[in-house]
Amino acid sequence: MIARMAGIWRAARELRAAGVLGMNRRNADYIMARNPRSRFPLVDDKILTARLAEEHGVPTPAIYRVIEHHAGIAGFERGLQGDGAFAVKPSHGAGGMGIVLVERTGEGGFFKPNGALVPREALYHHISNILSGVYSLAGQPDQAIIQALIRPDNVFERVSWRGVPDIRVVVYRGVPVMAMTRLPTKASDGKANLHGGAIGAGIGIGDGRTRHAVHRSRPIDRHPDTGNPLDGVEVPHWDRILLASARAFEMTGLGYLGVDQVLDWERGPVLLELNARPGLAIQIANRTGLWGRLEQADQAPAGIFATPEARVAWARQAFPGGR
Amino acid sequence: MKRPVLLLAGAFFLVPALLLGYRVAVLGYPVFPSVPGETWEIQMEATVGQGHSNRIALWTGLPPRGTGVTVVDEQYFSGALNFTIHSEGPNRFGIWSGPSEQEDARIFYRATLRFRSPGPLLTVPRRPGPYPESAGREEIALAQSLAKRWQNLPVPTRLGAVHEAARGNWGSPPPSEADRLRWAAIYQKLGGPSALWLLFRAAGLSVRLAEALPLSERVYTKAQSYLQVWDGNRWVRYDLENLQRISVSTKVLPLTRDGAPAVRVTEGQLTGLRWTLAKRTSSHWRLHFDRIVRSRHFLDRWSYFHLPAEFQETFRILLLVPIGALFIGVLRNIAGFPTFGVFMPVLMALAFRSTGLTYGLGIFAGVVTLGYFLRRSLDHLRLLLVPRLSLMLTLMISALGILALTGNRLGLREFMAVGLLPFVILTMVVERFFIIMEESGFRTALRTTLGSAAVAVICYELLNWERLQLAFFLYPELLFAVAGFQVLLGRYTGYRLSELLRFRPLMGNTP
Repeated sequence: MIARMAGIWRAARELRAAGVLGMNRRNADYIMARNPRSRFPLVDDKILTARLAEEHGVPTPAIYRVIEHHAGIAGFERGLQGDGAFAVKPSHGAGGMGIVLVERTGEGGFFKPNGALVPREALYHHISNILSGVYSLAGQPDQAIIQALIRPDNVFERVSWRGVPDIRVVVYRGVPVMAMTRLPTKASDGKANLHGGAIGAGIGIGDGRTRHAVHRSRPIDRHPDTGNPLDGVEVPHWDRILLASARAFEMTGLGYLGVDQVLDWERGPVLLELNARPGLAIQIANRTGLWGRLEQADQAPAGIFATPEARVAWARQAFPGGR
Repeated sequence: MKRPVLLLAGAFFLVPALLLGYRVAVLGYPVFPSVPGETWEIQMEATVGQGHSNRIALWTGLPPRGTGVTVVDEQYFSGALNFTIHSEGPNRFGIWSGPSEQEDARIFYRATLRFRSPGPLLTVPRRPGPYPESAGREEIALAQSLAKRWQNLPVPTRLGAVHEAARGNWGSPPPSEADRLRWAAIYQKLGGPSALWLLFRAAGLSVRLAEALPLSERVYTKAQSYLQVWDGNRWVRYDLENLQRISVSTKVLPLTRDGAPAVRVTEGQLTGLRWTLAKRTSSHWRLHFDRIVRSRHFLDRWSYFHLPAEFQETFRILLLVPIGALFIGVLRNIAGFPTFGVFMPVLMALAFRSTGLTYGLGIFAGVVTLGYFLRRSLDHLRLLLVPRLSLMLTLMISALGILALTGNRLGLREFMAVGLLPFVILTMVVERFFIIMEESGFRTALRTTLGSAAVAVICYELLNWERLQLAFFLYPELLFAVAGFQVLLGRYTGYRLSELLRFRPLMGNTP
């Protein structure tokens, strides 16, 4: 008993020494202290986020249509831009829940990127579920967004299985402190969702290269489906990604933020969504504690907080990356 | 930890500490509210018919106050008769009297008693007591001369020797043949009990007759008579039937002493009589209630014990719910244990109270399984959220209604003991279960379900822990202490136990 208690104590001390951020501290010292509640709607509502991003010159996928009422569901796909390819999302969704990607609209219904057919009625029902609030954070009635489908850049093609890999940057007081990419696997059904079985690969803030990776909370070196090594992939447009992330602070006023972007093969990085409660798995993907970096950012000279460019520049030299 | 938080928590701890200290030190509350002790309920029912006169009067020995027995609560029913309690020497009599009617008068008495010490009859006798009334001067003189042989023995030994002699073993040297014959004649004339009494008394021992009921859960139609002899430390009892000494560990509930009969009808005719003794396990509540209700002190007048009984039950449970919530807070924020929702397990535990644990868990498992399949089949119908949830509710209530009717046919009460609370909660659980199942797979869903059930069981045990209920009911200020812990927990920013495992790959890294 005493030995076990001592073991627990030692483990906690080691995590502390490694600067690992725990859930309780994240909630109490960072989210509650830095994220004013009144600003949460800006990130919880994807329509508001997209509008804000537009105002700040941050590219986002085009919104083709917003469905607010059940009456607007049937036949929504008629006259849509994008040649029958689109994504359906709940405006207040979280964790990628409720998102359906449609690559092609045909006679019988909608075809997902993996070729599976979603019957027309099934998608209508799904949208009606979205409107009823099945996927919204508090179960409130929601809106459904019909958005341009992302055609992913092929940079991650060798290390992902279908789907759209995304890039998550944790931004603290406007400083990008840690980043990772979420790579879909067969197990995650092409979704970039770590809980669903996607791989998280840490990205050096300084060099924009992938390094350690984690799959289902365990370190991993190669993609389970493609067999290719997960480290050393250089993310294109890295500076733009960091800048857009840093701007999210000015956009929202949230001091502790997760910024999710994807690389479109035409447009480059586009902002998908913002998260006021970003998860902690990014630490395992980077094999680095987040708390240490947050403390480091707090020690940064006051001058760097003035502009997004200065913050990115400081972060790139403070967290150079590499193995 | 931040200063205001510590101050607030400190204040929350200080309030109950002061109040509790005051109650214990000044008002004499127990430090540990559940006083161990045996509590018994005695119930006497008698019917008295019309005698020669058209009046009725019945005397009955009541459990004495003091002497190791506390009468916690007394109730009587006298109908048209008068009732008085009359103390006489060591005895307490309940006297019912009044004009008689055509029908037999019903008399009813009930008391709750608590025994504090193993020997309930510890009154030190001041005088040796009387000789038996039936003994004449001659007989007393003979007994005294026979008893001379024991006068130098210490009291406990003398007691044994006299008892042996009464059964014929006089020891050596035996008394003269003539004395023995004369004693045998007296024994014949007085009868065993009185002869034994005479001999004890002649040997200088304190003797008295008592009527009592042996303490066991049963019905008595007459009280048992005992001869009690003081051995210097306690009253030793002798059974009047066989003159055997009764073991000290055999407990009795005394009704009368000094020879008075337990029931005496001075006018009218006794047509029915019975005593029922029952052991009570959960009457600590009443002990406190009795004390508090009589107190005029502010804190006592504002006690939960003054609530009407039907609401007391609710508050016994309600006052413990915050502990359940604190417990879940500890599980989530310190252990990192996943449950359905935040307070779902507490609500489940409350629901289990009306069904019982086994059946409650049965319902839970059954409903989640049934609900899951219902939900899956409903999924194809593509119903909107709220109508779908209400349809599920309807279907599950129907299923449990059928189960209750089946239980009724089969005589299984448990199948019918379904509370109102669980259904809405269980419907939500089914929906959550379905979503977790769809998104994270069967294992996660099962783990969360089992986790929630386990927490609900622990919460249930907590809510039903009578000592804890009593502690919070007596000392509601303990809620402040719970709040104090909740405040401290709210500022716990350390790692959760589950995180020690989750972040193990990061151990030993330097940032």
